Amino acid sequence: MEAKPKIVLFQCQWCLYSEPDQQWVENDLPSSMHLVKVPCTGRINTLHVLNAIQGGADGVMISGCLPEKCHFKEGNLSAMRQQDEFANLLDYVGYEKERIRFVWLDLQDLGRIQKELAAFEADIVELGPTQNLATRTPQTIRGEHA
Amino acid sequence: MPEIKEKITSEIKRLLDEGLVDVVIGFKKEESPLRPQPAFFRKVEDLAELEYNGLCQNNLANYLTRYPQDTRIGIVVRGCENRSVNALVVEHQHARENLFLIGVPCQGIIDIKKIIAEVGEEVSEFSETGDEVTLVARGKTHTFKRQDLLHDSCLRCAHPNPVSADVVIGEPLPEGDPEMIRKAVEEFEGLSKEERYAWFKEESERCIRCYACREACPMCYCTECFVDHATPRWTESDISPAGTQAWHLIRAFHQTGRCTSCGACERACPMDIKMTYLTDKLNKDMYDNYEFIPGMEAETQPPFASFNLDDKKRFVV
Repeated sequence: MEAKPKIVLFQCQWCLYSEPDQQWVENDLPSSMHLVKVPCTGRINTLHVLNAIQGGADGVMISGCLPEKCHFKEGNLSAMRQQDEFANLLDYVGYEKERIRFVWLDLQDLGRIQKELAAFEADIVELGPTQNLATRTPQTIRGEHA
Repeated sequence: MPEIKEKITSEIKRLLDEGLVDVVIGFKKEESPLRPQPAFFRKVEDLAELEYNGLCQNNLANYLTRYPQDTRIGIVVRGCENRSVNALVVEHQHARENLFLIGVPCQGIIDIKKIIAEVGEEVSEFSETGDEVTLVARGKTHTFKRQDLLHDSCLRCAHPNPVSADVVIGEPLPEGDPEMIRKAVEEFEGLSKEERYAWFKEESERCIRCYACREACPMCYCTECFVDHATPRWTESDISPAGTQAWHLIRAFHQTGRCTSCGACERACPMDIKMTYLTDKLNKDMYDNYEFIPGMEAETQPPFASFNLDDKKRFVV
């Protein structure tokens, strides 16, 4: 793979990373990565993940709060069950489930998100590009690309 | 099975006469004996056209959600339909006390596509006894083994008997083997990645987006489906590869822990697309991870509607 893999990072807005990490994620993400903030990982519909994949992402990382620390008590547990099973389903039809990764992060984990993203990127480079799952045609608004 | 039909008729007659129910959902005869249609009986006189045989294709639980909660409904249920009713009751789609389930142990639904492939569509008479099916087509009589004509998902059926019917008509049948579904799924899992994708691509991209599978499914009762959203447009709603693949994946995924493997979606499909291999896989995972079988009783919430901190052991490294 010549270009860097495209990664979409879904981040729960309640478990913000430690200050410098959050600054980095919001301002200094490499251009191959895209940040989507969500109110809770439980809000992430499998359609969001599929949309990211069909929109050309090579990997999707979901970062949620630790199991007991969900702002809405159990949103992240529900998300975990669903996204885990969705990855299994995609794997079943031939799309590697390693391309969807769930990480639990906490305020104390200074510098961890960079490491996680780097490791994830390395893993995806190793998997190589995939044609399994069709990408959708780019959406346009009044004839112009959105 | 004429005697079963008679018993169903007299049971429905009793329910209507005693005023226990407002409406009874069953099947009625149509011009072609191959296609009995769902029928809604409110008067005893209408019962003359009641039909019950192996050709009844629809899952009648589909019609429960179209009535208000306080309508008292009688419904003729086979094994899979009974489980669908339970799954709907768990999701509060109808109150169980307003339902009267007339259970019939099911010998399996005959796939009319298999009949048409054998003798063509012009069938004038149909009769069945135990393991044999007799058809009259263009003046000729054909006899088939029932097993050869059954729908694929009925061949793999694990629970042919109603699980929570109020009254059961006919003798209970031996339970099926749950391993049959598992074996089919494991066989598919054993294929290589490319083979699996090739199969999925071939099946999903034939789709013409008629949504017959959605309409036939008792669990697809959302008033607005994700494919009908205009803003945001979740998936392409044309027949592009991305759109059809997304439809097949998400439709199946929305059935996780809810699908009762009745196969109504496949029977409704005009393009003859296989899709139960997706939901069977999800059901297998639900059983392996949470020991949950959809619709076996009407209290337990499906895994995606319930949470447990014990999951932590599985997911946190």
